[in-house]
Amino acid sequence: MGDKPTILIWSENPALARELAGAARQALGPGGDVALLAPAGVAVDVPSVDVVFTTERADEAPEAWAALLAAAVSQTEPALVLVGATKLGLQVAPRLSERIGAGYAAWATGFTLEAGTGAVAARCSLYSGAALAYHQFKPGRVVLTAAPGALTAPADAPSPERIARQSTLTAEVDGTAPTVVGVRPKATSAARLEEAHAVIDIGQGVKAKEDLALIESVAALLDGQLACTRPLSSDRDWFPEWLGLSGKKVAPELSLLIGVSGAIQHIVGVRDSRVIAAVNNDENAAIFAQADVGVVADLYAFLPVLVERIRARGMRPAWQ
Amino acid sequence: MNIVALVKYSRDVTEIKVDPATSELRTAGVPERVGLIDKNVVEAAVRLKAATGAGLKVIALAPATARDSFKDVLAMGADEVVLIEDPFGGEAEAGIVVRLLEAAIRKLDPVDVVLCGFASDDGYSFQVGPRLAERLRRPLLPYARAIVPEGGGLRVEQNLDDRMQTVTAPLPALVSIDEEAFPPRRTTLMDALKAKKKPVNVWGIETELGLSRADLESSARIADTRLTGVVVRRQQRVLKGQDLGAMADALIDALEQAGVLKGAA
Repeated sequence: MGDKPTILIWSENPALARELAGAARQALGPGGDVALLAPAGVAVDVPSVDVVFTTERADEAPEAWAALLAAAVSQTEPALVLVGATKLGLQVAPRLSERIGAGYAAWATGFTLEAGTGAVAARCSLYSGAALAYHQFKPGRVVLTAAPGALTAPADAPSPERIARQSTLTAEVDGTAPTVVGVRPKATSAARLEEAHAVIDIGQGVKAKEDLALIESVAALLDGQLACTRPLSSDRDWFPEWLGLSGKKVAPELSLLIGVSGAIQHIVGVRDSRVIAAVNNDENAAIFAQADVGVVADLYAFLPVLVERIRARGMRPAWQ
Repeated sequence: MNIVALVKYSRDVTEIKVDPATSELRTAGVPERVGLIDKNVVEAAVRLKAATGAGLKVIALAPATARDSFKDVLAMGADEVVLIEDPFGGEAEAGIVVRLLEAAIRKLDPVDVVLCGFASDDGYSFQVGPRLAERLRRPLLPYARAIVPEGGGLRVEQNLDDRMQTVTAPLPALVSIDEEAFPPRRTTLMDALKAKKKPVNVWGIETELGLSRADLESSARIADTRLTGVVVRRQQRVLKGQDLGAMADALIDALEQAGVLKGAA
């Protein structure tokens, strides 16, 4: 490693790559270099990056990205490689760690890079978000993955525009990558859940898809976006995406959880909300320990009354 | 054809509690078991066994005292369990675990298909499959929702972030099972009786795998790990009763106080 520490970042998701770059810049201060392996076919508009590697590759084989990152590692000799924790990134990062003999940890929510020694320490989410692990790595290179929103630098953090040195990277891919014989794109949600002021988060207590009209009437009054737990997406296919450990994470002003039991795997997706309210008919549901205010009631009886009372009292969201 | 299913013996994370005063994790007395995801791995392996007539062995890293925990895995249809006696008490970092699994697979070779979970219930770090694929230099078909033997290789339906994708690879290969794919079968009393005759072979890392504990420890990249619990600090106010209107008003009041709702200007 040179005198100036380098952090190498990559995610196929441009927004996540920007987040990682911001966190890397903040950790390095003005002294070190942020190097970026750009996602294929995406214009590079990531500020505060010093080195940009572009590539001709258009496919998304984890083997290929691991090989490209290994090539970028040998050029930049980074102390740390930050990879976005998507399903693809979570394949690429551990492969890379084996290839370059680096330490590895997943789900980082913070890290430090000691000036001088380059020693890395990382705080990582563990046990479905019920715990945090503080890892002190041995001297040497480290690979970390971070989920969207997990490493967000404070909004007032300086993010200097830099003129990046660009070069094109190629890498030999070993022959083990499976052959892609068919692709079926998934439906994606038009809603930008991460930007919603309020999230109306529904679980298996909502019985039928027709009941969404009732939920939507609440969402409309609260200026909220609808979201759901995993079973409503993966089993019932009501929504293309869900909140939770394996899904999206949001941090709105208000999350209103309706018919959600409160399993930690789901709660981890909403627990950074400023205020959490819940409606559930089971007094013993775990959700009531995770909420600021909970209502023990049958949602089908309660929500129409809530809608009527919000209207009657002329209440509206504070941000409107 | 030979199939190996990798099964994690781990803590039931839903039983891990946090001391609200000290943020300390209460892990004492938390039961250990074959993971939930890992039962699905065994189900996928048993189905592939049925489709191909292959042999099926399960590899797990566990204390020797955990032998009886694998009865269910054998009842589901595995032929044999190889229990690598864990000298690290479940605390080894994944890089070491991957080396142990690699050595066990190489000892069982020829192994045509290695099946594992996309992640484990407790660590949930998604790393064993890709790291093993790198070390074994074999193709990995991750996030499988369907596995079909085809033309001497495998055809796998993958559930990726933005798409479903069908991939093929020749054997030998690794496959990781997607979340909630291959829900495990219920076993019968007959299955359980048959399982009694099946072996759980305990392997030592030095005696059977030919590895040295000192070498494994020196391959660790993490010097120290400290755990703390995440304490939820919510107001936990609960409204209940028969009067829905009163509860709705109380909820609205709470949201107004919290600055989420405001009254008519």
